[in-house]
Amino acid sequence: MTAPDSLAVLVSRAQEGEQDAWDAIVERFLPLVGAIARRHRLSPADGDDVGQTVWLRLVEHLGELREPAALPGWIRTTARHECLRLLAARGRTRVVDPQAGGLDTVTDDLTDAELLAAERRQALRDALAELPEGRRELLLLLLVDPPLAYEEISRRLGIPIGSIGPTRARAFAQLRDTAALRSLGPDHTGDPS
Amino acid sequence: MTAWDDMTDDQLLAELREAVAEVDQVTDRQREAARAAFTWRTVDAELAELLHDSALESTAVRGADDAARTLSFVSGPITLEVEIDGDTVMGQVVGAAAESVLMQRSIADDYPLPVDPSGFFRIEGVAPGPVRFVVQAGDWTLTSPWVAI
Repeated sequence: MTAPDSLAVLVSRAQEGEQDAWDAIVERFLPLVGAIARRHRLSPADGDDVGQTVWLRLVEHLGELREPAALPGWIRTTARHECLRLLAARGRTRVVDPQAGGLDTVTDDLTDAELLAAERRQALRDALAELPEGRRELLLLLLVDPPLAYEEISRRLGIPIGSIGPTRARAFAQLRDTAALRSLGPDHTGDPS
Repeated sequence: MTAWDDMTDDQLLAELREAVAEVDQVTDRQREAARAAFTWRTVDAELAELLHDSALESTAVRGADDAARTLSFVSGPITLEVEIDGDTVMGQVVGAAAESVLMQRSIADDYPLPVDPSGFFRIEGVAPGPVRFVVQAGDWTLTSPWVAI
Protein backbone atom coordinates (compact mmCIF):
# COMPACT_ATOMS: atom_id res chain seq x y z
CA MET A 1 0.00 0.00 0.00
CA THR A 2 1.11 3.54 -0.69
CA ALA A 3 1.49 5.98 2.16
CA PRO A 4 -1.42 8.44 1.97
CA ASP A 5 0.74 11.50 2.51
CA SER A 6 2.29 10.85 -0.88
CA LEU A 7 -0.97 11.56 -2.71
CA ALA A 8 0.35 15.01 -3.67
CA VAL A 9 3.47 13.37 -5.07
CA LEU A 10 1.44 10.76 -6.95
CA VAL A 11 -0.85 13.38 -8.48
CA SER A 12 2.08 15.52 -9.49
CA ARG A 13 3.90 12.57 -11.06
CA ALA A 14 0.74 11.40 -12.85
CA GLN A 15 0.35 14.94 -14.22
CA GLU A 16 3.84 14.50 -15.65
CA GLY A 17 2.64 11.37 -17.40
CA GLU A 18 4.06 8.66 -15.15
CA GLN A 19 1.96 5.54 -15.49
CA ASP A 20 3.15 3.95 -12.23
CA ALA A 21 1.93 6.99 -10.27
CA TRP A 22 -1.44 6.72 -12.01
CA ASP A 23 -1.58 2.99 -11.21
CA ALA A 24 -0.96 3.79 -7.54
CA ILE A 25 -3.78 6.36 -7.49
CA VAL A 26 -6.09 3.85 -9.17
CA GLU A 27 -5.13 1.09 -6.72
CA ARG A 28 -5.96 3.31 -3.81
CA PHE A 29 -9.39 4.44 -4.97
CA LEU A 30 -10.71 1.42 -6.93
CA PRO A 31 -12.38 -0.01 -3.78
CA LEU A 32 -14.18 3.30 -3.17
CA VAL A 33 -15.46 3.55 -6.74
CA GLY A 34 -16.56 -0.10 -6.67
CA ALA A 35 -18.36 0.36 -3.35
CA ILE A 36 -20.27 3.38 -4.63
CA ALA A 37 -21.32 1.54 -7.82
CA ARG A 38 -22.53 -1.47 -5.79
CA ARG A 39 -24.58 0.73 -3.49
CA HIS A 40 -26.36 2.24 -6.47
CA ARG A 41 -27.36 -1.29 -7.46
CA LEU A 42 -25.98 -1.04 -10.97
CA SER A 43 -25.51 -4.28 -12.87
CA PRO A 44 -21.90 -5.51 -12.62
CA ALA A 45 -21.32 -4.54 -16.28
CA ASP A 46 -22.79 -1.06 -15.78
CA GLY A 47 -20.81 -0.72 -12.56
CA ASP A 48 -17.61 -1.47 -14.46
CA ASP A 49 -18.61 1.08 -17.12
CA VAL A 50 -19.22 3.74 -14.49
CA GLY A 51 -15.87 2.97 -12.90
CA GLN A 52 -14.10 3.19 -16.22
CA THR A 53 -15.87 6.48 -16.96
CA VAL A 54 -14.74 7.91 -13.61
CA TRP A 55 -11.12 7.08 -14.42
CA LEU A 56 -11.38 8.47 -17.96
CA ARG A 57 -12.86 11.68 -16.57
CA LEU A 58 -10.09 11.90 -14.02
CA VAL A 59 -7.55 11.58 -16.82
CA GLU A 60 -9.35 14.47 -18.56
CA HIS A 61 -9.26 16.61 -15.44
CA LEU A 62 -5.90 15.58 -14.03
CA GLY A 63 -4.10 18.57 -15.50
CA GLU A 64 -6.49 20.99 -13.80
CA LEU A 65 -6.22 19.36 -10.38
CA ARG A 66 -4.29 21.86 -8.23
CA GLU A 67 -5.18 20.52 -4.80
CA PRO A 68 -4.46 16.79 -4.44
CA ALA A 69 -6.36 16.72 -1.14
CA ALA A 70 -9.53 17.38 -3.14
CA LEU A 71 -9.04 14.20 -5.16
CA PRO A 72 -10.91 11.74 -2.87
CA GLY A 73 -13.93 14.06 -2.79
CA TRP A 74 -13.78 14.54 -6.55
CA ILE A 75 -13.71 10.76 -7.12
CA ARG A 76 -16.60 10.16 -4.73
CA THR A 77 -18.73 12.93 -6.23
CA THR A 78 -17.97 11.90 -9.81
CA ALA A 79 -18.66 8.22 -9.11
CA ARG A 80 -22.00 9.05 -7.53
CA HIS A 81 -22.91 11.44 -10.33
CA GLU A 82 -22.02 8.93 -13.05
CA CYS A 83 -23.97 6.17 -11.27
CA LEU A 84 -27.12 8.28 -11.15
CA ARG A 85 -26.58 9.37 -14.74
CA LEU A 86 -26.27 5.82 -16.07
CA LEU A 87 -29.25 4.68 -14.00
CA ALA A 88 -31.27 7.47 -15.60
CA ALA A 89 -29.97 6.55 -19.05
CA ARG A 90 -31.14 2.98 -18.39
CA GLY A 91 -34.55 4.29 -17.39
CA ARG A 92 -34.21 3.03 -13.84
CA THR A 93 -34.66 6.20 -11.85
CA ARG A 94 -37.50 6.37 -9.41
CA VAL A 95 -40.41 8.38 -10.70
CA VAL A 96 -40.55 11.46 -8.55
CA ASP A 97 -43.98 11.75 -7.01
CA PRO A 98 -44.47 15.05 -5.13
CA GLN A 99 -46.90 13.30 -2.76
CA ALA A 100 -44.18 10.85 -1.80
CA GLY A 101 -41.55 13.55 -1.24
CA GLY A 102 -40.93 12.51 2.33
CA LEU A 103 -40.16 8.96 1.36
CA ASP A 104 -37.82 10.14 -1.37
CA THR A 105 -35.94 12.29 1.09
CA VAL A 106 -35.42 9.36 3.42
CA THR A 107 -34.01 7.31 0.57
CA ASP A 108 -31.57 10.08 -0.38
CA ASP A 109 -30.40 10.48 3.21
CA LEU A 110 -29.71 6.79 3.37
CA THR A 111 -27.57 7.12 0.27
CA ASP A 112 -25.67 9.99 1.86
CA ALA A 113 -25.03 7.89 4.95
CA GLU A 114 -23.83 5.03 2.79
CA LEU A 115 -21.52 7.33 0.85
CA LEU A 116 -20.16 8.68 4.10
CA ALA A 117 -19.57 5.12 5.31
CA ALA A 118 -17.72 4.37 2.05
CA GLU A 119 -15.58 7.44 2.67
CA ARG A 120 -14.84 6.27 6.23
CA ARG A 121 -13.70 2.89 4.92
CA GLN A 122 -11.45 4.69 2.43
CA ALA A 123 -9.96 6.69 5.31
CA LEU A 124 -9.41 3.49 7.29
CA ARG A 125 -7.54 1.89 4.37
CA ASP A 126 -5.42 5.04 4.05
CA ALA A 127 -4.81 5.03 7.79
CA LEU A 128 -3.72 1.40 7.69
CA ALA A 129 -1.24 2.28 4.96
CA GLU A 130 0.22 5.01 7.18
CA LEU A 131 1.12 2.59 9.98
CA PRO A 132 4.58 1.06 10.29
CA GLU A 133 4.63 -2.34 8.64
CA GLY A 134 4.72 -4.38 11.85
CA ARG A 135 1.63 -2.71 13.28
CA ARG A 136 -0.21 -2.96 9.98
CA GLU A 137 0.62 -6.68 9.72
CA LEU A 138 -0.72 -7.23 13.22
CA LEU A 139 -4.01 -5.44 12.50
CA LEU A 140 -4.43 -7.37 9.24
CA LEU A 141 -3.93 -10.66 11.12
CA LEU A 142 -6.36 -9.54 13.84
CA LEU A 143 -9.16 -8.95 11.35
CA VAL A 144 -8.92 -12.37 9.76
CA ASP A 145 -12.29 -14.05 10.00
CA PRO A 146 -12.59 -16.53 11.72
CA PRO A 147 -10.08 -15.06 14.19
CA LEU A 148 -6.58 -16.47 14.44
CA ALA A 149 -5.34 -17.71 17.81
CA TYR A 150 -2.73 -15.47 19.45
CA GLU A 151 -0.33 -18.45 19.23
CA GLU A 152 -0.69 -18.34 15.45
CA ILE A 153 -0.26 -14.55 15.28
CA SER A 154 2.77 -14.85 17.54
CA ARG A 155 4.26 -17.48 15.25
CA ARG A 156 3.59 -15.52 12.05
CA LEU A 157 4.94 -12.19 13.31
CA GLY A 158 7.72 -13.67 15.45
CA ILE A 159 6.64 -11.71 18.53
CA PRO A 160 5.85 -13.05 22.03
CA ILE A 161 2.19 -13.83 22.77
CA GLY A 162 2.34 -11.53 25.77
CA SER A 163 3.20 -8.53 23.62
CA ILE A 164 0.29 -8.93 21.20
CA GLY A 165 -2.28 -7.30 23.51
CA PRO A 166 -0.19 -4.20 24.29
CA THR A 167 0.96 -3.90 20.64
CA ARG A 168 -2.65 -4.18 19.51
CA ALA A 169 -3.64 -1.32 21.81
CA ARG A 170 -0.75 0.83 20.58
CA ALA A 171 -1.59 0.03 16.94
CA PHE A 172 -5.18 1.20 17.42
CA ALA A 173 -4.04 4.35 19.20
CA GLN A 174 -1.67 5.04 16.34
CA LEU A 175 -4.42 4.30 13.81
CA ARG A 176 -6.69 6.88 15.44
CA ASP A 177 -3.86 9.37 15.27
CA THR A 178 -3.08 8.93 11.57
CA ALA A 179 -3.47 11.87 9.22
CA ALA A 180 -6.08 9.88 7.29
CA LEU A 181 -8.43 9.52 10.27
CA ARG A 182 -7.63 12.92 11.75
CA SER A 183 -8.36 14.64 8.45
CA LEU A 184 -11.72 12.93 8.16
CA GLY A 185 -12.41 14.36 11.60
CA PRO A 186 -15.55 14.74 13.67
CA ASP A 187 -17.55 16.04 10.69
CA HIS A 188 -17.54 12.55 9.26
CA THR A 189 -18.96 10.64 12.15
CA GLY A 190 -21.51 8.94 9.95
CA ASP A 191 -24.36 11.19 11.03
CA PRO A 192 -25.62 12.87 7.86
CA SER A 193 -27.68 15.50 9.70
CA MET B 1 -21.30 5.06 13.86
CA THR B 2 -19.31 7.38 16.08
CA ALA B 3 -16.18 9.49 15.95
CA TRP B 4 -13.00 7.42 15.90
CA ASP B 5 -12.05 8.29 19.47
CA ASP B 6 -15.42 7.22 20.79
CA MET B 7 -15.14 3.78 19.23
CA THR B 8 -13.72 0.81 21.06
CA ASP B 9 -10.79 -1.03 19.51
CA ASP B 10 -13.16 -3.89 18.66
CA GLN B 11 -15.59 -1.55 16.88
CA LEU B 12 -12.71 -0.03 14.97
CA LEU B 13 -11.47 -3.50 14.06
CA ALA B 14 -14.91 -4.45 12.73
CA GLU B 15 -15.07 -1.39 10.49
CA LEU B 16 -11.48 -1.96 9.43
CA ARG B 17 -12.46 -5.50 8.41
CA GLU B 18 -15.19 -4.12 6.11
CA ALA B 19 -12.75 -1.59 4.68
CA VAL B 20 -10.16 -4.22 3.84
CA ALA B 21 -12.82 -6.57 2.44
CA GLU B 22 -13.67 -3.90 -0.16
CA VAL B 23 -10.17 -4.20 -1.58
CA ASP B 24 -10.82 -7.89 -2.31
CA GLN B 25 -13.91 -6.99 -4.33
CA VAL B 26 -11.88 -5.13 -6.95
CA THR B 27 -11.64 -7.34 -10.05
CA ASP B 28 -8.65 -7.64 -12.37
CA ARG B 29 -10.89 -6.39 -15.15
CA GLN B 30 -11.66 -3.18 -13.23
CA ARG B 31 -8.01 -2.71 -12.39
CA GLU B 32 -6.84 -3.22 -15.97
CA ALA B 33 -9.49 -0.87 -17.37
CA ALA B 34 -8.66 1.81 -14.81
CA ARG B 35 -4.94 1.60 -15.53
CA ALA B 36 -5.56 1.67 -19.28
CA ALA B 37 -7.56 4.90 -18.94
CA PHE B 38 -4.24 6.70 -18.53
CA THR B 39 -3.34 6.00 -22.17
CA TRP B 40 -6.05 8.57 -23.03
CA ARG B 41 -4.11 11.30 -21.29
CA THR B 42 -3.53 14.27 -23.57
CA VAL B 43 -1.77 17.47 -22.65
CA ASP B 44 -3.59 20.74 -23.39
CA ALA B 45 -6.68 19.01 -24.71
CA GLU B 46 -9.64 21.33 -24.65
CA LEU B 47 -12.87 19.49 -24.10
CA ALA B 48 -16.20 20.43 -25.54
CA GLU B 49 -18.77 21.64 -23.07
CA LEU B 50 -21.71 19.40 -22.31
CA LEU B 51 -24.76 21.54 -23.04
CA HIS B 52 -27.38 18.94 -22.36
CA ASP B 53 -27.84 15.32 -21.36
CA SER B 54 -31.39 14.07 -20.99
CA ALA B 55 -30.10 11.57 -18.38
CA LEU B 56 -29.24 14.51 -16.14
CA GLU B 57 -32.76 15.92 -16.22
CA SER B 58 -35.61 14.99 -13.97
CA THR B 59 -38.10 12.44 -15.22
CA ALA B 60 -40.75 15.14 -15.49
CA VAL B 61 -38.61 17.14 -17.93
CA ARG B 62 -37.31 14.33 -20.05
CA GLY B 63 -40.63 12.53 -20.32
CA ALA B 64 -41.05 8.79 -20.53
CA ASP B 65 -38.14 6.69 -19.32
CA ASP B 66 -38.09 4.69 -22.55
CA ALA B 67 -37.46 7.81 -24.68
CA ALA B 68 -34.12 7.99 -26.49
CA ARG B 69 -31.31 9.71 -24.62
CA THR B 70 -30.13 12.97 -26.15
CA LEU B 71 -26.87 14.79 -25.54
CA SER B 72 -25.32 17.90 -27.02
CA PHE B 73 -21.83 19.32 -26.85
CA VAL B 74 -20.42 22.64 -28.00
CA SER B 75 -16.93 23.77 -28.83
CA GLY B 76 -16.28 27.05 -30.66
CA PRO B 77 -18.74 27.27 -33.55
CA ILE B 78 -19.42 23.51 -33.57
CA THR B 79 -22.39 21.89 -31.88
CA LEU B 80 -22.71 18.12 -31.78
CA GLU B 81 -26.13 16.63 -31.17
CA VAL B 82 -26.24 12.93 -30.29
CA GLU B 83 -29.18 10.62 -29.78
CA ILE B 84 -28.77 7.17 -28.24
CA ASP B 85 -31.60 4.72 -28.69
CA GLY B 86 -30.74 1.20 -27.61
CA ASP B 87 -27.64 0.23 -29.54
CA THR B 88 -28.21 2.91 -32.21
CA VAL B 89 -26.22 6.12 -32.07
CA MET B 90 -27.18 8.95 -34.40
CA GLY B 91 -26.41 12.59 -34.50
CA GLN B 92 -25.68 15.77 -36.35
CA VAL B 93 -22.88 18.29 -36.46
CA VAL B 94 -24.20 21.84 -36.60
CA GLY B 95 -22.39 25.15 -37.09
CA ALA B 96 -19.61 24.00 -39.37
CA ALA B 97 -19.22 21.52 -42.19
CA ALA B 98 -17.99 18.30 -40.57
CA GLU B 99 -15.18 16.52 -42.36
CA SER B 100 -15.10 13.60 -39.98
CA VAL B 101 -16.74 12.25 -36.87
CA LEU B 102 -14.80 9.74 -34.85
CA MET B 103 -16.38 7.59 -32.17
CA GLN B 104 -13.81 6.55 -29.58
CA ARG B 105 -14.28 3.68 -27.15
CA SER B 106 -12.09 3.34 -24.10
CA ILE B 107 -10.87 -0.16 -24.84
CA ALA B 108 -11.42 -0.58 -28.60
CA ASP B 109 -10.21 0.99 -31.83
CA ASP B 110 -11.48 4.36 -32.95
CA TYR B 111 -14.54 4.09 -35.12
CA PRO B 112 -14.93 6.63 -37.95
CA LEU B 113 -18.60 7.42 -38.53
CA PRO B 114 -19.75 8.13 -42.07
CA VAL B 115 -21.12 11.66 -42.04
CA ASP B 116 -23.34 13.03 -44.84
CA PRO B 117 -23.14 16.56 -46.31
CA SER B 118 -25.76 17.79 -43.83
CA GLY B 119 -23.63 16.59 -40.96
CA PHE B 120 -25.81 13.59 -40.09
CA PHE B 121 -24.43 10.28 -38.95
CA ARG B 122 -25.93 7.05 -37.70
CA ILE B 123 -24.52 3.74 -36.49
CA GLU B 124 -26.10 0.60 -35.09
CA GLY B 125 -24.78 -2.17 -32.91
CA VAL B 126 -22.96 0.09 -30.45
CA ALA B 127 -22.12 -1.80 -27.28
CA PRO B 128 -22.59 -0.17 -23.85
CA GLY B 129 -19.59 1.49 -22.26
CA PRO B 130 -17.72 4.78 -22.20
CA VAL B 131 -17.72 6.69 -25.47
CA ARG B 132 -16.54 10.03 -26.75
CA PHE B 133 -16.75 11.85 -30.06
CA VAL B 134 -14.13 13.78 -31.99
CA VAL B 135 -15.44 16.06 -34.74
CA GLN B 136 -13.15 17.68 -37.28
CA ALA B 137 -14.56 20.69 -39.15
CA GLY B 138 -12.06 22.86 -40.95
CA ASP B 139 -9.70 24.35 -38.38
CA TRP B 140 -11.99 23.36 -35.53
CA THR B 141 -11.93 20.18 -33.51
CA LEU B 142 -14.60 19.20 -31.03
CA THR B 143 -13.65 16.53 -28.49
CA SER B 144 -16.49 15.54 -26.19
CA PRO B 145 -15.97 14.47 -22.59
CA TRP B 146 -16.30 10.74 -21.92
CA VAL B 147 -19.85 9.54 -21.38
CA ALA B 148 -21.04 6.09 -20.32
CA ILE B 149 -23.81 4.90 -22.64
